[in-house]
Amino acid sequence: MAGRTPIQTINSALIAMIADEDTVTGFLLAGVGNVDLRRKTNFVIVDNKTTVKAIEDAFKEFTAREDIAIVLISQYVANMIRFLVDSYNKPVPAILEIPSKEHPYDPAHDSVLSRVSYLFSAESVASDRR
Amino acid sequence: MPEMDQIVPVPREDEDEDDGAEEEATEKVGTECKPGADSEEGEDEKVLKFLDSFDAYLVLIDSLSSALRQGWLELACARHSMGSSRISSALFDHKVRSAATTLKVTDSLDSSLSEPNPHFTLSKWGTQEDRCSSEEIELDSMQKKSNQSQLRHRAASNILGEREESNSSGNGPQLSFSKDVQKERAKSLAVFGTLVSPKLRTAQSSFETALERIVEMANARSAMLSAFTQLQLEVKGSEDTTREDTV
Repeated sequence: MAGRTPIQTINSALIAMIADEDTVTGFLLAGVGNVDLRRKTNFVIVDNKTTVKAIEDAFKEFTAREDIAIVLISQYVANMIRFLVDSYNKPVPAILEIPSKEHPYDPAHDSVLSRVSYLFSAESVASDRR
Repeated sequence: MPEMDQIVPVPREDEDEDDGAEEEATEKVGTECKPGADSEEGEDEKVLKFLDSFDAYLVLIDSLSSALRQGWLELACARHSMGSSRISSALFDHKVRSAATTLKVTDSLDSSLSEPNPHFTLSKWGTQEDRCSSEEIELDSMQKKSNQSQLRHRAASNILGEREESNSSGNGPQLSFSKDVQKERAKSLAVFGTLVSPKLRTAQSSFETALERIVEMANARSAMLSAFTQLQLEVKGSEDTTREDTV
């Protein structure tokens, strides 16, 4: 259709992670870890010392990189930068919120589900959160 | 009888006109119903498509959660047996290395969509996920079974024979694929030392399963957003037509 921007084909795209240590460790075991020539990694481990600014910077960096196709972010981490995650609307990289060990997945906070859930209720979930 | 003769039948001109008017009205209603019915059917179809993709996304989230829980549990067991210092982020060196598991991103083949709809394909350990992972699992299971008994060995060799017949290139490349995959897996495990707990290996396979769910989730997400956009356009279009009709 007219006006539809086609998506560029990427052959060896990466999966980026912003999550807790165990989740990142597990996915590194699955072979997802990448360190480029500038010693930049495709993962950021979030612990109790990690600042919100650092998480924001990591999110902005991963969503701006062209070699990253999916950004995995623990939902409790996404809640810290909710405004940034909700305002993101590009198709690639896709942002997927995943559960963590201490914080089970809550569909009410998922940015994608909250975007479409207003079809089922008169009020949006975002307004409920506010 | 003179009174009977004076009875004059009512002329049918008015009735004919009424019938004609009624026919025209029914035709008008009929013609109005057809495009309305078509648009309602189209909207229903889009609603169903959206709800299906929404349901698929929720099911995949549940499946991912269980795969992750399994992986975390096995990782905790491995940490318990190997020691917490042997499984920690401090071991992650920043040596230059490229990811063994990557993704292929392509545009959806559906040109009728107004929004971009990416499709993700997982490439585990540098191989095509769909073909090699299933073959590799079969090969591993066949190798295990062949060591146990003659009957099983015969069955494994029969299966191997069938595979050779089915594949034109033969068994060599598949075994080499399997070896390459095992090498890559061993490299990932080697970060935690040469002798690792079996629980760490099972954690690795759990997280591989979680990766597959994640890629499926990404595809379901893009399908859901695409269906949602189409539905929004449909609803907006029908609202505009109703407004025009009222005006």
